[in-house]
Amino acid sequence: MKILSKDKVERVLDKLAESAEVFVPLSRANSSGFYSWKTRNPEKEQLMLETLNVYLSPKNVGFPQTEKMYSIIQSGTEAQIKETFEDSSPRIIFGLRACDARAIRCLDDVFLTRGYEDSFYKARRDNMVLIGQACYEPGPNCFCQAMGVDPLEPEVDIVIRDCGDKGYIWETKTPKGEELTTSISNLLEEKELKAPEAKAFQTQVDYEGVAEKLKGMFEHPIWEDLSSNCQNCGICTYVCPSCHCFDIQVKSWGEEGYRFRCWDSCMYGEYTAEAGGGNPRPTTKERFRNRFLHKLEFFSERYGYPLCTGCGRCIVACPTGINIVNIINEVKEASVDV
Amino acid sequence: MSDKCSCEQPLVPTVVEVVDIQDETPDVKSFYCRLSEGGVPFNVAPGQCAMVSYLPVGEGMFSCTWQEGQEYLQFAIKKVGLLTDELHAIEVGQKLGVRGPYGNGFPVEECKGKDMLFIAGGIGLAPLRSFIKYCFKHREDYGKITIVYGSRSYADLCFKEELFNEWPAIKDTEVYVTIDNPEEGWDGHVGFVPAYVEEINPNPQGVIAVTCGPPIMIKFVLQSLEKMGYSDDQVITTLEMRMKCGIGKCGRCNIGSEYICLDGPVFTLTQLKQLPQEW
Amino acid sequence: MKEISKKVKEIASRLLSEGQVDVFLAWEKGNQDYLTRPLVVRSAEEAERIVFDEYSIHNLSNYLLKFRDGNEKVGLVVKGCDSRGVIRLLEDNQFSRDRLYIVGVCCPGMKDPLKAIKRNSGLLQNIPDDDKADKCSNCAYPNPLIYDELLGSEQEPNVKGERQAKIQEIENMSPDERYEFFRENFERCIRCYACRQACVACNCRVCIFDEMRPQWVGRENNETDNMMYHLVRAYHMAGRCVECGECERVCPVDIPLMLINSKLAKDANEFFGPYEAGIKYEEGSKPALSVYRLDDPDEGFM
Repeated sequence: MKILSKDKVERVLDKLAESAEVFVPLSRANSSGFYSWKTRNPEKEQLMLETLNVYLSPKNVGFPQTEKMYSIIQSGTEAQIKETFEDSSPRIIFGLRACDARAIRCLDDVFLTRGYEDSFYKARRDNMVLIGQACYEPGPNCFCQAMGVDPLEPEVDIVIRDCGDKGYIWETKTPKGEELTTSISNLLEEKELKAPEAKAFQTQVDYEGVAEKLKGMFEHPIWEDLSSNCQNCGICTYVCPSCHCFDIQVKSWGEEGYRFRCWDSCMYGEYTAEAGGGNPRPTTKERFRNRFLHKLEFFSERYGYPLCTGCGRCIVACPTGINIVNIINEVKEASVDV
Repeated sequence: MSDKCSCEQPLVPTVVEVVDIQDETPDVKSFYCRLSEGGVPFNVAPGQCAMVSYLPVGEGMFSCTWQEGQEYLQFAIKKVGLLTDELHAIEVGQKLGVRGPYGNGFPVEECKGKDMLFIAGGIGLAPLRSFIKYCFKHREDYGKITIVYGSRSYADLCFKEELFNEWPAIKDTEVYVTIDNPEEGWDGHVGFVPAYVEEINPNPQGVIAVTCGPPIMIKFVLQSLEKMGYSDDQVITTLEMRMKCGIGKCGRCNIGSEYICLDGPVFTLTQLKQLPQEW
Repeated sequence: MKEISKKVKEIASRLLSEGQVDVFLAWEKGNQDYLTRPLVVRSAEEAERIVFDEYSIHNLSNYLLKFRDGNEKVGLVVKGCDSRGVIRLLEDNQFSRDRLYIVGVCCPGMKDPLKAIKRNSGLLQNIPDDDKADKCSNCAYPNPLIYDELLGSEQEPNVKGERQAKIQEIENMSPDERYEFFRENFERCIRCYACRQACVACNCRVCIFDEMRPQWVGRENNETDNMMYHLVRAYHMAGRCVECGECERVCPVDIPLMLINSKLAKDANEFFGPYEAGIKYEEGSKPALSVYRLDDPDEGFM
């Protein structure tokens, strides 16, 4: 088998960064996320391959928080689309975990299927290679397995498995991965290593049957109770690797301007506010309910699996302690009038 | 030309020119658009929508009026917000962006052989008008056509020429018009649409009812239809919600797992009853 | 603290069963020792869930905004800083005093559940071992300034002065250095609006950032729009911020928002004061910047 020894990780990243933008888990300021290897400040920022994961997901690599779409010119009655900005430059995400890889699959299904291919997402995604890291030790807020994700088998092009000091097992899974592996094969060694034993999950949750049960719980009093301490900020939606709602807006000055899209959040009132003044989701309860039903029921109905990948980030980030695991458990326990 | 957006860049509009603007009511105008070189960038089926963009300001989803020959993209737009204020201020010759067509449209084929009952309020007549025009174009395919339409006042009634002159003259067609409050010079019916429908009490036998209007009107019309014995399969409505992408990606126009922009905007009452009651 | 917790539970239970309040705002325990979270209670039975402990850090006065349009009577627990939030709402005419039953708790300083959960998350490095909330080391008013019932023994203020020193350091910077300092901090902003949502002084019905006709601030996540967001918010807070520190605490990317808010509080006091937001409630009183005096200075802020 192919092995990447730990002292060669940085050389591999350097090599890969010659022909692509390589996003790696890094500590940055008091936070952490997937940032370009080239922009790393080695004195201040550490590669975080040996921690559980990072605080900000790699969602923005394929779906940036702000993405310029096309430029416009309007002069009097004349108007034209000047240029579109699909970005097909090569990108690699290195070291993403199975939960975040699953989230990218969610984005793929949203942006590339059901009748329309989003050309902006597609340009990025077609030119992206995923190098995932298998997880052997779930963290305190991890529950990916319960959501149908195998932490040992991230859905990616290449899987690396941390075997301690001896290095990473390097497993190529797809033709895209094959091509990348060839390009750095001189930095890999050929030897046998044994992957570590997987540890048990600390967080127990049973998602079985929840999507089906939720179908009959839209008007259930549980939503009033569960949402009562939500402050309607957008943290959960922005740290979530699979939340993908966006807004399209325009910036214009003089005769020029451009359209861009940016992440939006179903937690905001403005999200569904209509031009005429109405709003179908006027209060916290409706917004909160929509978010969790989207995660746990609606997406399943549309795509066959849940939109929550069990990464646990929203649990860590919520200022008021809202916990999706509790919500699943409460739904499980809730009594529903038949 | 297909009536489904098949372009490679579904979020990027095509520029068209406004070739005519008609005042329908004090706050509704009809806009007729064509490509500068002639023709239209896409055809629409009755009930489909398109995203209209005034480039420096924004985009909005509007029902696109079906017409025979598809010579223009035609939109009846009510002035309600930022974008529509701007649109109401433009003049003929203005270039706009359009993308589409979006949505499923009305089940015009499935309704063939049926009597049709159209119930609309305010600007809600705009989407139904596509279906009505389609029925009149294929008059022999449909049975009796009944149109019930209401607005706040006489001035707010859209498409008056069709409503009072063209449509009532077509054979086997009845047009009922009402306004909310009495006013001088109006000797027609006064009152809200749902009550008027019950007054007319069209027999449900072999009828498909199609309704569109303000959400509150739709709610009461649905109740009235049920009271009059219409089954859920006989009732069709079109919904609207705030939209941004139009292609089922941006998230906001969902009702349950359905996106109004993509899976709607047209639903039968049977379908709606299977969805969360959030419309 | 256990004693206070018990008393809060008793009070809530009494108020709810006697019908003196319809709703009571307090805290409950989550599934970790450090996970204390806000709780909205509507019955004496539910009041059994109430706790008050060292992690009861959230400013519950913010939750009053959820009830401002009704007629419900609301009971709530406030610490010193939170009580200033209540005064903010009263002064802003967002709530009437007679709909409130305020249980004040003299606060010895709180721990921050976010610190604890982040440290244990495996997602972040270098989170200090101490859960003591940063905001509590800059506490001028540990004891509630408005209440119907007071629990606990009076506490001494705890102003370590670090924030003031940092403000002075920024004041002494050149304009370019200062710009760079804020640019670097605002660059991290993800525009989740948690600072706004956690803020009791942010009680506008339609926030300027949600206003679309016209749209005052762009939604792009870039230097210009981020800067615009934070500067506009800072100015709206000037002389109104009650320095509860929740914005800074909830910020997922650690933007030092209280440096700005405290600087503006200081300037509002110096230029238009003496004034400190939310320390005394008097019928009809207004924040310093809501009043015009002929002798107001012409100097701008910052």
